[in-house]
Amino acid sequence: MKTFLKHFLKYYLKCATKIVLARHRPKIVAISGSINKSFFKDAIKLDLEKKGLTVRANEKSFNTEIGLPLAILNLPSGYNSYKNWWPAVTGALVEIFRSNFPQVLILELGVSAPGDMKFLISIARPDIAVITDITQRYLESFSDMDNLVNEYELLAQKTKREGVVILNADNNRVRAISKKLKGRRVIFFGKSKESDWQIIAAAKNERGQRITVEHKREIFKYETNRFGEHHAYAYAASRAVGKAIE
Amino acid sequence: MFERTQNLRLSVIKQMELRASKYPDVISLAQGVPSFDTPECIKRRVERALRNGVVAKYSLSPGLPELRELIEVSMARENIFYDWEKEILVTAGSIEGITATILAITSPRDEIIIPEPTYTSYREVITLAGCVPIFVPLNEEKGWAFEISKYEEAITPKTKAIFYCNPNNPTGTVYSKEQLLELAELAKKHDLYLISDEVYKDFIFEKKERIFSLAEIPELRKRLIRLFSFSKSYAMTGWRIGYLSADEKVLNEILKVHDSLVTCAPVVSQYAAMGALEMASADVKEFNRQYLERRDLICRRLDRLNKVFSYVKPTSAYYVFPKIKTEEINMAGEEGKKGPSWQFALWLLDKIQVAVVPGVAFGPNGENHIRISFGRSKNDINRAFDRMDKLFL
Repeated sequence: MKTFLKHFLKYYLKCATKIVLARHRPKIVAISGSINKSFFKDAIKLDLEKKGLTVRANEKSFNTEIGLPLAILNLPSGYNSYKNWWPAVTGALVEIFRSNFPQVLILELGVSAPGDMKFLISIARPDIAVITDITQRYLESFSDMDNLVNEYELLAQKTKREGVVILNADNNRVRAISKKLKGRRVIFFGKSKESDWQIIAAAKNERGQRITVEHKREIFKYETNRFGEHHAYAYAASRAVGKAIE
Repeated sequence: MFERTQNLRLSVIKQMELRASKYPDVISLAQGVPSFDTPECIKRRVERALRNGVVAKYSLSPGLPELRELIEVSMARENIFYDWEKEILVTAGSIEGITATILAITSPRDEIIIPEPTYTSYREVITLAGCVPIFVPLNEEKGWAFEISKYEEAITPKTKAIFYCNPNNPTGTVYSKEQLLELAELAKKHDLYLISDEVYKDFIFEKKERIFSLAEIPELRKRLIRLFSFSKSYAMTGWRIGYLSADEKVLNEILKVHDSLVTCAPVVSQYAAMGALEMASADVKEFNRQYLERRDLICRRLDRLNKVFSYVKPTSAYYVFPKIKTEEINMAGEEGKKGPSWQFALWLLDKIQVAVVPGVAFGPNGENHIRISFGRSKNDINRAFDRMDKLFL
């Protein structure tokens, strides 16, 4: 019964989501990778909202086969309660007929088993894909690292033809994905010199850090109250997404 | 022989539990254990990890990266910003975090100031580390508030840290932002560490969104160590999992001790903690709602016994710490026991088989009080108070 309901929900929500996306055609920014997706999502959202765009991003980590449609439709999860799934089931119908919808969707795509990415992309095909990093995290369900990387490669390959793939230049596995993307626009971010959006400095101070990023000889400076180098990467990627959307 | 352990005591709470276990019909309101089971969503997360075969090996010493990342995200929602890669450490419950912290930041014979009454195990950990606990009384008249002048008086050249629990166990009270900021000023003035144990932070009985933490003040990062445990908020006392955050330099030192003590926190419990942060917020809200109902129930029942008890209404945690009006009670047969609160607790256990914790367990200023936990069900609370009504009314 439980498995049947899970499958029903999975395909029902997918169907409702595809109808909504077909109606409103928002720009879709997909963020994937082993780590730091939430921080990238927040940084990209901040950047796009500053540009005056209306944006919706996954709440919490709604980034799996059922979570992703919930995030797109802005519906609550029922978690393990049959009763609590009713608002999501009825809400999905309401969303189909709703007239207003954000201009941009920022979606974390989580991969924990082979085939996850294929299913997620079949719900929402991105205009822009960002790959944060690839590490051995979530490797347990894959036979080896190559199989895990295949999932991220699929995301990059299935990004719309006229879209952009934004990759972490400092991670060998992520950088190598670019070699399999013929005819697609690829932008790099990171500390290495090959980066289009290069992190020059991330200087820690008492109140956070001062991040400096260079793009085509132009310097961008950003003060944040967050600590950790990953926020510098998230900032560089957010500028790359912002520029790409312009 | 046993030099390091000779001054340690078995927790008074455990002693009471041990005595209580000899009475078959006992109702225990002594131990600070939630009556709830761990939420189902957490168990499912653990089942998945077990099925995937990822729990059998050590994790990195500071903890699973994915858990630490979730912790950074969760702390950021509370306006507290730390780097998951370098400033967050997953511990085997908060007590392991406390032990590692004290061993890292002190030298033998250093003094650590503790506002009291407070959690019993602080004294033991400090003593184990070869340091000296300096108790400074809280002011009951002002709702168990700090009296900053008393802290200033207690500071000596050997003082290394001020160690407080907020919300406080056993009083169930919360220090105000103003009080905490005054304490922080004092720490800055005398170059002291602040150790903030915030294991009850998610229990909020007043109309506010969250409880203020000094960890929200970036200027305090270099001197503040903040601890949290999943035990209370998520009904996970048996999983032994918690975390601490501190500036990178301090954390590196704590990490060395943590590594020597436990290598890493139990990996299966780290997955449980991930489930908690990912999916259990609705459960925390529900626990909070039920604790609030129990708090109101226990206060109503205490009000009926106002000839025997006076109390400060708890605004968090799941404890109330009533003062015993001993002059009103005839405890024949229990004279000469270890002090009035011990005497009262033993008398209550013997007379009506209700177990509570003698207040002196929480420091000298806790004398003449008892700690009653409302972590237990409403039914248990009502049964225990029905017995007290029969005895006192």
